[in-house]
Amino acid sequence: MGSGFRVGRVWAGGDVRSFGELEAAIMDRVWLAGRPVLVREVWAGLRPEREPAYNTVLTVVEILYRKGWLERERDGRAYRYRATVTREDYTADLMGEALEASPDRAAALRSFVGRIDPAEARQLRRMLDQALREQAGS
Amino acid sequence: MIVALALLGYAALLLTAAPARLARARWPDAAPRLAIAAWFALTGSAVASVLAGGLALMVPTVRVSADLARLLASCVMALRAQYAHPGGAAMTGAGAMLALAVLARVTWCTVQALARAARARRRHRLRLSLVATPDPRLGAVIVRHHEAAAYCLPGRGSRIVVTTGAMDTLDDGQLRAVLAHERAHLRGRHHLLVTFAGALCAAFPRVPGFRIASEQVARLAELSADDAASAAAHRLAIAGALLSLGAGVPAAALGAAGTADAARVRRLIDGPSAISRTRAASVALTAVAAALVPLLLLAGPAASARGMNYCPHGRPAAAAPAAGLYSR
Repeated sequence: MGSGFRVGRVWAGGDVRSFGELEAAIMDRVWLAGRPVLVREVWAGLRPEREPAYNTVLTVVEILYRKGWLERERDGRAYRYRATVTREDYTADLMGEALEASPDRAAALRSFVGRIDPAEARQLRRMLDQALREQAGS
Repeated sequence: MIVALALLGYAALLLTAAPARLARARWPDAAPRLAIAAWFALTGSAVASVLAGGLALMVPTVRVSADLARLLASCVMALRAQYAHPGGAAMTGAGAMLALAVLARVTWCTVQALARAARARRRHRLRLSLVATPDPRLGAVIVRHHEAAAYCLPGRGSRIVVTTGAMDTLDDGQLRAVLAHERAHLRGRHHLLVTFAGALCAAFPRVPGFRIASEQVARLAELSADDAASAAAHRLAIAGALLSLGAGVPAAALGAAGTADAARVRRLIDGPSAISRTRAASVALTAVAAALVPLLLLAGPAASARGMNYCPHGRPAAAAPAAGLYSR
């Protein structure tokens, strides 16, 4: 979705930042709350450090809802929003995507290391410890 | 005809015997960057030879000329002469088909691979932004996650990602080693090298040479990044980081990558093995020579054909008598 990273003057004070950063901050507030929250509460939660306009927060919350990352229920005249997955599940899924051994992934990003066979790892660990001792001794 | 056969034979040699030999050689481990260059010289030269072979079938003798108009004119003459007898026409058709098909396939698969990787990275970067916190001190973004992992996301808006699990597992030296390794990937544009080599493999899945090249380029990119990291951190710290992150979780499905990673650890523990200057020079010369062969094969007959008069007194070539001359 293109709107996610559109750069604009979002914050009061003239900082040029991206919606992406605000999305992250909003999801952070929603996850922290642990219960369905009003946009006003999210906005208030962001206030000490950031001072986005209320309408900006409303817009970005609706973007997150349309992306399927938030779900909502009516509460009087407003909506209460909650995350569709927990932060832990979301992160686990994302890291799984990054580290799965598929050809597509291989072309897209470079992981530091794959999985080393446990038996081989133990043997290598012994070799490494010995090398480290020799290094310390010399 | 002879030239075309020579070119196609050369390509076959480059894609059958040569990759197995280069993959077995020991020196690439000591000079991974040179070895990556050698792999691209090999595969690039093979593709160029097939293209040149197709051209050689199409236009048996083309005069090399600086003047484009004259070159085109001589091509037209040669083509007409070629078309004048049925065998020549068939050969031209086959040559054109071969060259065009190979060129189109390579281009299409490369563009597709680049686009697919860029799309996957963009998607991942967008999703990552929700849970990653930038750490300017490390020059990386941190993700709160119990599993230890580190990777880099290349391309536009590139970044290095480290999980809190990895930060808990690694000591300072090891973390520095991991970051230096990932920075080397980004700086060396390794994702492009891996994508190009992979695209050739995807374009011609039945050609084992391309598959071996693709695996080796990916492996050598890791060695190259390990070497770059050795400048910023001790090689034993890199080995320690590899073991800590690689053995953290029970191996579910251990592919070729796992074995290659074990070999990386061993190589780092054993210490640097340098490649001799003569070895490096001979490899570089061989790579350049391999890349030049198709050019020389194509240029040889073209140069010898310089003296031929394709266009006597500016009249179009008479087809019938000339046919024998051009079709070889």
